[in-house]
Amino acid sequence: MASVRLDMTISLDGFVAGPDDGPDQPMGEGGFRLFNWLDRRDDPGPSGEVFAESLATRALISGRRTYELAGHWGGDHHDGVPIIVLTHDVPDGPPPGSVRFATDPADAAAQARAAAGDGDVLVAGAGAGQALLRAGEIDELELHVVPVLLGQGRRLFDHLPARPVRLDLVRRLTSPPGEDHARRVTHLRYRVRRA
Amino acid sequence: MSRIVLDMSVSVDGFVAGPDDGPGAGLGIGGEQLHAWLGPGGAGPRSYRPTDETGALVFDEMLATGAVITGRRTFEFAGGWDGDHHDAVPVLVLTRNPPDAPAPGHARYVTDVASAVEQAKAAAGGRDVMVHGAVTAQECLKAGLLDELELHLVPVLLGQGRRLFDGLPPGYVELELLRALDGPGVQHLRYRVRREA
Repeated sequence: MASVRLDMTISLDGFVAGPDDGPDQPMGEGGFRLFNWLDRRDDPGPSGEVFAESLATRALISGRRTYELAGHWGGDHHDGVPIIVLTHDVPDGPPPGSVRFATDPADAAAQARAAAGDGDVLVAGAGAGQALLRAGEIDELELHVVPVLLGQGRRLFDHLPARPVRLDLVRRLTSPPGEDHARRVTHLRYRVRRA
Repeated sequence: MSRIVLDMSVSVDGFVAGPDDGPGAGLGIGGEQLHAWLGPGGAGPRSYRPTDETGALVFDEMLATGAVITGRRTFEFAGGWDGDHHDAVPVLVLTRNPPDAPAPGHARYVTDVASAVEQAKAAAGGRDVMVHGAVTAQECLKAGLLDELELHLVPVLLGQGRRLFDGLPPGYVELELLRALDGPGVQHLRYRVRREA
């Protein structure tokens, strides 16, 4: 059974991008600080391990904003796996590559689970994450927590109902001692507890 | 040298209390889970103590501090700890409008965060100073007065409530993870504020 996993890099104060993000500044003011850890994505060690896991997923659900800011990934996020883009407003014309659009979070999750088979589903983007959390469709969280406070920006956890969701920590991976400061990160994986 | 250490339990989505917190319900709706790691207790912090080794360690560190800085709201929601948070150390209560009546017991009202930190350091006699409360944490961060953060990260999404990190100005505060301890149902993460960055 596929696990639908929200995979996001956040500052310790919970932001996925700095303030004033937009087409000219996709990560907002100063937000690229969050991605320094990805310099280690091809190295052995915790960051390489979690990055490889994200690219071993068999389907992707993305929010529209993330999809646009990423230049549609040229239609292929990795290995040609289906990319399901959650949007209120489906664009005209055929979508590029392995992209398809969905307007309903539960439908997006069902499509992704079906496409992933025994593999996992990667969820990228705060908006998509929130929509799927509200719909009860997130099974796991993989949070890459960067030791910085951004102060302002776009929050990962926002616009959620006042309905506690219990989690269980599955794994905590921390940068090895001696890692240079700018690339340190703590990878926390949680599983959503089903009532 | 006293370090100014924020000590807070926080949900994975960043809340220190659920919605509708108030006097006698300081953790708001659903927020009681944030303090579950402390174990059962009653009146005052001293009545608690986690039964697991890591929980007991961080708890004892917290109660080895030589002064407490807190906000008026946290103070009043907690009934002022009857004037004694632990061991009769001074409790500096940040408030814009101090009441006419003096604060109970070992508490005193302070209107300025820098003065609160100064008084706390002077009273702590080299021991660390515990900062408690979201607004007080924000005031200390804005003033650049926080040395360390001890966050007890509780695996729950509360969805709504009172955020720990809110109303801060944009710009980096670089941190360094000093220690990560896994307890049952909680991760204790200690960060240092990097001023040299």
